[in-house]
Amino acid sequence: MKKYWTTPKYKKQNVRKARRSLNRKLEFKDNVRLKNIKEQRLSKEEKKHKHQFEDKIKDYTKVRAPEDFSFKQNPEKVIQFINKIKGCFDRREKTFVMLESVKKIDYDAIVVLFSIMIRFKSQNIPFNGDFPAENNIRNILTQSGFFKNLLKRNFKDEDRYNVGENDHSLHTHAFKNVDSELSAKIIEQASKTIWGETRRCQGAQRTLLELMQNTNNHASFEKEGDKHWWLSVNHDKTNNRVSFSFVDYGVGVFSSLSNKQEGNKFFNSIEKMIERYKYGNNAELLRLILEGDLHKTVTGEHYRGKGLPGIKEALKRNQISNLVVVTNNVYSNAIDDNYKLLNVNFTGTFINWELNINNISCNA
Amino acid sequence: MHKIEIKIAKDFVTTPGPRYKKEGSHSGELFRDTILYPKLKEAINENIILQVDLDGTAGYGTSFLEESFGGLIRENNLTIDVINKHLQIISSEEDYLCEDIQHYLEDAESKRKK
Repeated sequence: MKKYWTTPKYKKQNVRKARRSLNRKLEFKDNVRLKNIKEQRLSKEEKKHKHQFEDKIKDYTKVRAPEDFSFKQNPEKVIQFINKIKGCFDRREKTFVMLESVKKIDYDAIVVLFSIMIRFKSQNIPFNGDFPAENNIRNILTQSGFFKNLLKRNFKDEDRYNVGENDHSLHTHAFKNVDSELSAKIIEQASKTIWGETRRCQGAQRTLLELMQNTNNHASFEKEGDKHWWLSVNHDKTNNRVSFSFVDYGVGVFSSLSNKQEGNKFFNSIEKMIERYKYGNNAELLRLILEGDLHKTVTGEHYRGKGLPGIKEALKRNQISNLVVVTNNVYSNAIDDNYKLLNVNFTGTFINWELNINNISCNA
Repeated sequence: MHKIEIKIAKDFVTTPGPRYKKEGSHSGELFRDTILYPKLKEAINENIILQVDLDGTAGYGTSFLEESFGGLIRENNLTIDVINKHLQIISSEEDYLCEDIQHYLEDAESKRKK
């Protein structure tokens, strides 16, 4: 044995081992030194937070939510946020949503957050986020069940999702088909918040059915029933009103129209509209669509309540209120007759409307 | 003239759904296949009126109505004249639906003629 330790082969092996060990120790010391330099200016609490939290997400792609997180009020920033997240989703990147700097949040943003979170989780792509610094924003998100679902719940890739607690004012649903029983139940619950009793609101029911049917039939180029629709419903018991935020991440209205194949009644519809109305952009086209002119031009017939014009008609009949539509590069607020082009493109359709005590309803 | 009556909320469902069966429950296709067409056929054979009452439901999507009534011409090969002779639609809650359905029938008839 003694003889072996003195052999050149052993000596060489031992020197190599010692060198490696020393290198590892030096490397570790260097890392500790660098880390201490980095953390020199941090307080004890900041250091604790960093070790407990930030270090764990250092390989996540961080996406900052807009300060004014409202699809209705701030559509461009919200669309930019959605597009960044969509990029992460398509690349299957670990994603961290930074909500800390959100100063204002609308309930329509909740449907966006929920749909994004569930899409990531159902595809097993790590997804996380921080808490908003503002207490009221944090409370809204906590009450919606967002953080509870974010931290604790796993989602499988399913056709239907249903999130939110029964005692909470906000509920989110998702499905690929048309579900008239669900929409009727949602409206029944809304009517209790608004009128204090169960009522039927046929205009609101029609609005939901037309939107579900549109997503089912037109949201995908490939096949029908391919995309989810997402619906968040917020009950404002103080002001006796309920707001509905509906979103699908399909192709959007204009992309869908321009991709209709020969044989479809909407084939070449955009060209026909340009020829007839000489309109300049998609904002004007959306106005024509909502007024039913697209259907009339393409089919030569009145739209008879179908699709988006049917929803606008429900607004005119005072069956719903405050209709806002965002699709592709257009924002519209039908109440103000405000149709404007956006600088960013939203691949999908977002619709928000309200049901309140002034709207028409029927006894149950 | 005698009448057969259908009240959709009572005889079919209070929550009418999409156009086709594949798109969800309580579709217009299902309503036409199982209730509307058999009853209308009965009314035609007995030379009486079929009255369809639309009231009492949660509300209708247009696809449901178009498929139910327009489909009588497209799928069941009835003509608008026969339908108008034997079918009466009533609604006091949403009176505009009667006019819409008449137009769905006319549209389907004009497409059939083409």
